[in-house]
Amino acid sequence: MSLSAAIEVDHLTKIYKGSGTPAVDDISFTIPNSSIFGLLGPNGAGKTTTISVLCGLLSASTGKVTIAGLSAETQSSEIKKIIGVVPQDIALYPTLTAFENLRYIGNMYGLKGDSLKENINKHLDHFGLSQHAKKQVGSFSGGMKRRVNLIAGILHQPEILFLDEPTVGVDVQSRNVITEHLQVLNKGGMTIIYTSHLMEEAENLCTEIAIIDNGKIIAKGMPKVLIKENGSANLEQMFLKLTGKRLRD
Amino acid sequence: MLRLTSTIRKELLILFRDRGGLAILFLMPMAMITIMALIQDAPFRDYQELKIPLLLSNKDTSTLGRTIEEGLKTSKIFEITKTDKTDHELKQSVKGGDYEIGIIIPENATALMNEKVGHFVTEKLSAAGLGDSANSLVAAPSEDLDLIIFFAPDTKKSFKVSILSTLKQFTSKIETQTLLDYFTKELNQDGLEQPKTENKIDDLVNFKEVNTVESPEETLLLNSVQHNVPAWTIFGMFFIVISMAGSLIKERDDGSYTRVLTMPGSYATVMLGKITAYLFICMIQCVLMLMVGIYLLPLLGLPSLVIGNSVIAIAVVAFSCGLAATGYGILVGTLFTTHQQSSTFGAVSIVILAALGGIWVPVYVMPDSIRMLSEISPLYWSLSAFHKIFIGGGKLLDVLPYAGKLILFFLATIGIAWVFNRSKK
Repeated sequence: MSLSAAIEVDHLTKIYKGSGTPAVDDISFTIPNSSIFGLLGPNGAGKTTTISVLCGLLSASTGKVTIAGLSAETQSSEIKKIIGVVPQDIALYPTLTAFENLRYIGNMYGLKGDSLKENINKHLDHFGLSQHAKKQVGSFSGGMKRRVNLIAGILHQPEILFLDEPTVGVDVQSRNVITEHLQVLNKGGMTIIYTSHLMEEAENLCTEIAIIDNGKIIAKGMPKVLIKENGSANLEQMFLKLTGKRLRD
Repeated sequence: MLRLTSTIRKELLILFRDRGGLAILFLMPMAMITIMALIQDAPFRDYQELKIPLLLSNKDTSTLGRTIEEGLKTSKIFEITKTDKTDHELKQSVKGGDYEIGIIIPENATALMNEKVGHFVTEKLSAAGLGDSANSLVAAPSEDLDLIIFFAPDTKKSFKVSILSTLKQFTSKIETQTLLDYFTKELNQDGLEQPKTENKIDDLVNFKEVNTVESPEETLLLNSVQHNVPAWTIFGMFFIVISMAGSLIKERDDGSYTRVLTMPGSYATVMLGKITAYLFICMIQCVLMLMVGIYLLPLLGLPSLVIGNSVIAIAVVAFSCGLAATGYGILVGTLFTTHQQSSTFGAVSIVILAALGGIWVPVYVMPDSIRMLSEISPLYWSLSAFHKIFIGGGKLLDVLPYAGKLILFFLATIGIAWVFNRSKK
């Protein structure tokens, strides 16, 4: 285990019960500390399965996963304290207000009292939501929900943050606020693992990317270097070159 | 502890903000209790208080006719209407449903009975060599003595047997009395000593009804309220299954479940918070439903619910019933993947378990095979426990076996859900 690695994945394979084909097939990679790592791939490539194993939601069929020096297999409870997860779905309770949602999630991480209240208000203010703190999340626009969803993942200031399509379906303004804030968090030392179908966003945001297809890593490195190596004009062109134009389900 | 209290607060906030869900959880069982208690009041009274309408055509003005009529009156189970209708008209009245029973006592009933008794006695005495002579042998009556009885077409067989048995009881006594009088008369004619006592026959064997409860205050009547209030309270508590299963599926669909799984601490704590919140709702439901029975139903002309003498026993039964309901909710919410599946299965399975459990129809009127199935219904255990307290005057010790079964059911459902969830990971 490298001291500068936030995450080490060693020959990870995941086969779902009843399926003969591995969803993730013997992949290995390292994510350096304080990096923004993009895990990119077409639909069904194995991104969500990989992230789920890293977060402790799924167990690996074979292989080894280490998060901040902790074994995902045996030390998942310690890992959960230092990671934050922003799922693709708006994982919030629509009949609770933004404040109530965030208070509940803060409490689940052991945060409480005035410090939690101040923390929530600071984040709501930063994401332009302080005026809506007492409104039910169900009445929010898509962009507002995405912002609250992001706050829920970073409220406890995790060392490592997993984001699954954090900007899907939001307007340019909301996307800009979110990506800018992710860069601020990263500059503060937070390692960010991010999946997206927005190649331009990934190209600008990520310090390193891995492209996964059919459960295997087919390319890994810094975006600019990879684009150059593959003789492509941009990440999207390189992505299509590597994964093909065949439609995926 | 913070995770637990926070989850309870979150669940309660969500539940109390769902007006539609609250209406289903509270108003529906309250309406069910009120409506079912009112509807079933009459049938319960039929069995216990109401009199059976009987149309009587007594054409015999002598002993037999008078005795049967008197017997019917003193039994207090019939509402007798005397009529001079023809036999056909009387039959039509019963067939048309105006009366449950019709009885015709023929004109010469006493005379025919006396002839039959006279023939029987003189024949027996003659055979024993005690008779006066062969000349005194009373001839056998030329026709049979038939009291005609009609039942309404929808009368159940068991009810017919019961009524015929009651009528037979009246006629048997007068038959025996007449026989004894005739024997005495015949023997006196033979010069035997006149009996000094009156020939009145007392019942030789009596049935003494002993109450199954021990003190007067425990002598409660199983009426519509005593049955329906606990029955529909349990039904309402189990209906929380739909809400709870729906909540679990919704959390899975919107990613909240996934988020919780990535948070520190055991998921069991989160489930415990959910169970506690829903259990709290079940307890409120139970208290409200019992209040309906005690305070609202009497305003509608029904008897007030009598809750027995042990509040602790009620609390234990309500708690274990609520646990069983929430456990079942977790199981349904875990096994099914869509809200449609879980709500349909949840509702239908509760209705089936309720039917088996005696919520609709008391278990003792069910066929043996179904009665055996009742034993597996947690609603049956709950209802039996409530009946033990409300009707049998039961205490905590009496309901512990039922509470134990309900808690085991809860543990089994949680265990299956846990194994199922585990296998998916």
